[in-house]
Amino acid sequence: MSTAAQRFLQDAAVKSADLMHREVIRRGMDSYDAAHLKGRARIKDWEAARQKCQEIKREAINHLDRYLLQFEEKVIARGGHVYWAANSEEACSYVKNLAARFGVRTVVKSKSMVTEEIHLSPALEQAGIKVWETDLGEFIVQLRNEPPYHIVTPAMHLNRGQIAQLFREKLDPAIASDDPRDLMAVARRKLREAFFAAEMGISGANFLVADAGVIAISTNEGNGRLCTSLPRIHVVVTGIEKVIPRLEDLAVLWPVLATSGTGQGITTYGTLIGGPRRAGEVDGAEEFHVVLVDNGRSQLLADAEQREVLHCIRCGACLNICPVFRHVGGHTYGTTYPGPIGSVLTPHLNSIKEFKHLSYASSLCGACTSVCPVKINLHHHLLQNRRNATEAGATKSSERMMFRAWRSAMLHPRIYALGGWSMRKALRILYGLGLAGSILDPMRVWNRYRSPVPLPSESFRAIWRKDRKQDRRKNLGAN
Amino acid sequence: MQTKEAQTEKAHVENASRDGILQQIRAGLRTAVPEPAAIGSERVIFEPISNPLERFQQECVSNLMECALTADCAASARQLSEVLQPLPEGEIFVQDDPSLRRLVEMTIELAAPTRAIRWSSEGAPAEAAQATVTLAEALIAQTGSILVTSACGGRGASVIAPCHIVYASVAQLVPDLATALGRVSQERIFDSNSFACVISGSSRTADIEKILVQGAHGPRRLVVILQTGS
Repeated sequence: MSTAAQRFLQDAAVKSADLMHREVIRRGMDSYDAAHLKGRARIKDWEAARQKCQEIKREAINHLDRYLLQFEEKVIARGGHVYWAANSEEACSYVKNLAARFGVRTVVKSKSMVTEEIHLSPALEQAGIKVWETDLGEFIVQLRNEPPYHIVTPAMHLNRGQIAQLFREKLDPAIASDDPRDLMAVARRKLREAFFAAEMGISGANFLVADAGVIAISTNEGNGRLCTSLPRIHVVVTGIEKVIPRLEDLAVLWPVLATSGTGQGITTYGTLIGGPRRAGEVDGAEEFHVVLVDNGRSQLLADAEQREVLHCIRCGACLNICPVFRHVGGHTYGTTYPGPIGSVLTPHLNSIKEFKHLSYASSLCGACTSVCPVKINLHHHLLQNRRNATEAGATKSSERMMFRAWRSAMLHPRIYALGGWSMRKALRILYGLGLAGSILDPMRVWNRYRSPVPLPSESFRAIWRKDRKQDRRKNLGAN
Repeated sequence: MQTKEAQTEKAHVENASRDGILQQIRAGLRTAVPEPAAIGSERVIFEPISNPLERFQQECVSNLMECALTADCAASARQLSEVLQPLPEGEIFVQDDPSLRRLVEMTIELAAPTRAIRWSSEGAPAEAAQATVTLAEALIAQTGSILVTSACGGRGASVIAPCHIVYASVAQLVPDLATALGRVSQERIFDSNSFACVISGSSRTADIEKILVQGAHGPRRLVVILQTGS
């Protein structure tokens, strides 16, 4: 068993038994559910909206080279820069070199999952640069020195008391209130100094609009606006799959993203930026750089079955609805992208061998697929990942042996019957001794946290034979 | 001066992975994926807007922004003065535009404030600015949004101060996002602006226990003074 898989099982067991964690998540998800349903009701034909978004993303991904080049050309024509990074190292060193070239000492960052994926902040901090996460949730998890818990609401695993305590420890021991308004005010004061001091602002992009040659960022707090307005240098770090063909596509993508992400009709700020400050403009960054990160994405294109995974707009809806996520929480996954989309994507971005266990962190209930705003067939992809892992020989030898034994038993009814008979006998003795769920119990995985399923007195075959006999007698009587 | 092609070429030489990524993308796309038929145009995604003004006002309420209808410039000046009066001491920032110069002049005549004014022609808004006053390119009824560009006093004008006041006319109302974005494309806004933003309410967060807090890093108040007459 790989270490990532072991860690997942351990953390999942701990988290699902943590009642306080469950309460915080339940409350958060309840308020999301209510807002999400209300938001969907505001759109006249939600299914048509999903289909439209799916079509937009499909068109973009199926002509990815053309749209990326169109975007690049426009940005360069306006004096911006576009850098294509094959992997995390290339992306990080480009940003680091840029920071060194301009003598950057402070960076303000708005929320970006791609920067988490490539571990940009640690890379900059190693170079002696102070990095401020400025989204409130990201700021909180940065102070706690932990990764975001959720791709949209990074600090949803904490309650106000824990956050007030954190702020007292890290920012100001005099903070008395744990009212969210007061905590926001504390963060606002602290981060305002950073906004006005920073030489570089780093943002992500929700979309890259090919025909207009602009990046689109959706934010509510205004931190993304400040990161992209005040510092001298603005660096956009994003994935190559974020491109969309036309500006008008946002007329449906924006409301659908907001509805799926938070239940809002539209996000407060839909910011579009196409280059550095122009002559005659009041403000804006003098340097504008877009880093297009590949990091395994272009390989996914060749997989006809799973190409649509690149349609994802990172709204977080599949995390919110997932019964597994709701119990084990975001950190348990041990990946940048948690939840169903993370379980599908991570084996592609990292390795199928190390992360194949995530394909089993699902009951294949399909709730994720039913809410996905771009209609990614998520639970089918989890199933395909299971198959791919098996075909790639990434399974354990013990697992292969078990299946071989199972197969030969299935082909030999007498052996199968003998196996069933001895298992029933053995388990009856074991359960009788009160050893259910113990280390000696072959059903331990199930019985550890549950009462054992009652053992049948006879085999399925015996019951079947008896029923058939009775039926025959009944039929004879009727005739 | 370098030609555009030469500049582009130079940028590409410094970017070793660019061609490799493009090649990989093209190689991947050679695997064909079936494209199902596109959605029929008879499917209407959003409810058509029958009364843009009414819809805009409704959406302003749900976006937690204020919308004040005024009959003429004098009424708008009175409205502006009412918004500014209770604000703490400090400078206000105003987009340098003839219509706003006139509005501010009338406001000063009304209330004779001692407040300092920084016009956008004098630079970006100061960190301590108490309010910013700008125009908008359009108002969007569907989502209760205002569309601003760099031309509306710059990027910071709509986000730095705790109160952002937008002076707009009813003629600027467009029914929906599609119309507004279509206009941005048609009018080639990005040929002359490095920035545009669709703003739908005051800044907010729900990052702590999903509880809505109005006023995060940007304005706590967004006020639209919507003038019906000239």
